[in-house]
Amino acid sequence: MLSAVLLFVLATPAAGLSQWLKYPTPGIPRLASGAPNLKAPAPRTPDGKPDLSGMWFANVPSRDLCRTGDCIQEERMAREQINIGTKLPGGLPYTEWSREQMKTRRANGGREDPHTYCMPPNFPRAWTLPQYTRIVQTPGMMVVLHEFNEAYREVYLDGRPLPENPNPTWNGYSTGHWEGDTLVIETNGIRDDMWLDIQGSPVTESARITERLKRVNFGLMQIEITVNDPKAYTKPWSVTIEMAVQVDTQMLGEICIDNEQDVKLYKK
Amino acid sequence: MKTIKDNRITRAAKNWKNRLSPLSALVAVCLALVPVAWAHHSQSEYDPRKKVEVEGTVSKVEWKSPHAWIHVDVANDKGEKVNWHFELPSPNTLMRRGWNRDSLKIGDRIKVTGSQARNFPDIAIATTIKDGQGKAFFTGVTEIYEPEPQSK
Repeated sequence: MLSAVLLFVLATPAAGLSQWLKYPTPGIPRLASGAPNLKAPAPRTPDGKPDLSGMWFANVPSRDLCRTGDCIQEERMAREQINIGTKLPGGLPYTEWSREQMKTRRANGGREDPHTYCMPPNFPRAWTLPQYTRIVQTPGMMVVLHEFNEAYREVYLDGRPLPENPNPTWNGYSTGHWEGDTLVIETNGIRDDMWLDIQGSPVTESARITERLKRVNFGLMQIEITVNDPKAYTKPWSVTIEMAVQVDTQMLGEICIDNEQDVKLYKK
Repeated sequence: MKTIKDNRITRAAKNWKNRLSPLSALVAVCLALVPVAWAHHSQSEYDPRKKVEVEGTVSKVEWKSPHAWIHVDVANDKGEKVNWHFELPSPNTLMRRGWNRDSLKIGDRIKVTGSQARNFPDIAIATTIKDGQGKAFFTGVTEIYEPEPQSK
């Protein structure tokens, strides 16, 4: 019996792989070809709510950059990683304080970016980063895992109110409730020195952030992000980003401080 | 070492400028002069106008987050050995694009192109890597790429 089990394991294509980068994800809708059916309806939990669980990455295509006779594969990257307001006509409504902050940050080439210094992947910025996010949805809580620094975020779904005058943290304090098939996440209590993108768009302790998550189908999720931060912006603004589900692979933890060598390269 | 002439960055900056607000345009132009792609940082520490191309022997591979590094021994014009240091995406990104930690080993002969660090003469961010047989390794594009407008 033991020999039979060993034979089965060894005969399985994935057996012997040290990782699961291409291991088939069980229990997902597939086409006859075996490919994931990305257009299938969004899955639902036993209580009938949309199930947002899964691994997610910005919904941007790969493309090649070609010189004469030589092509480079471009890494997938959300444009919002550089400028979270890139799709907003007229750009983000910065306050004067924010404009001054950004002047300094631009002049310094972005070297004060907390992300450069391996600080945690704060949401909502984390949705745009070049690492995967995994959502684990339970009836009372949604847990959001992020590969960068192997970070986590808790979103309470048990009806509790947001805290008053909380101790500021990187991800703040989040609660969620359903409006139809959309999960509405409200967050407060983030730190006063956060960046929303590489170009240095600020977000501060005065912010109230709303994220509206809607799983359009199995393969696609839309997130409308609204930032109401009177210190950093003259009025609330909203952007919508798209996330594509990632299947037949795994999360790969990435501890930034392990071998960070870029800070020293910036001009002082 | 060769210098590669490339006007793409300037074109990208112009395209961005036409689409963005004045402040955003300034930032975009600034960033367009920076090879922004996969990194955990702005990459303004590299100068995309200072193209480098070297051929040499792998002396060390650092397969760690947040970025892998490849160190290459290169003979300069005087025949002296110079150790170049090339930054790559994270090992995780590389693994998802076909690399593994043994893809390049000490002693492998490779040709690397990239953009040089502004403040360090022997450090660059890799744009292309090819081994002795001409096999290309994914590096992630390290320049902003704006497609040419569609002709009407």
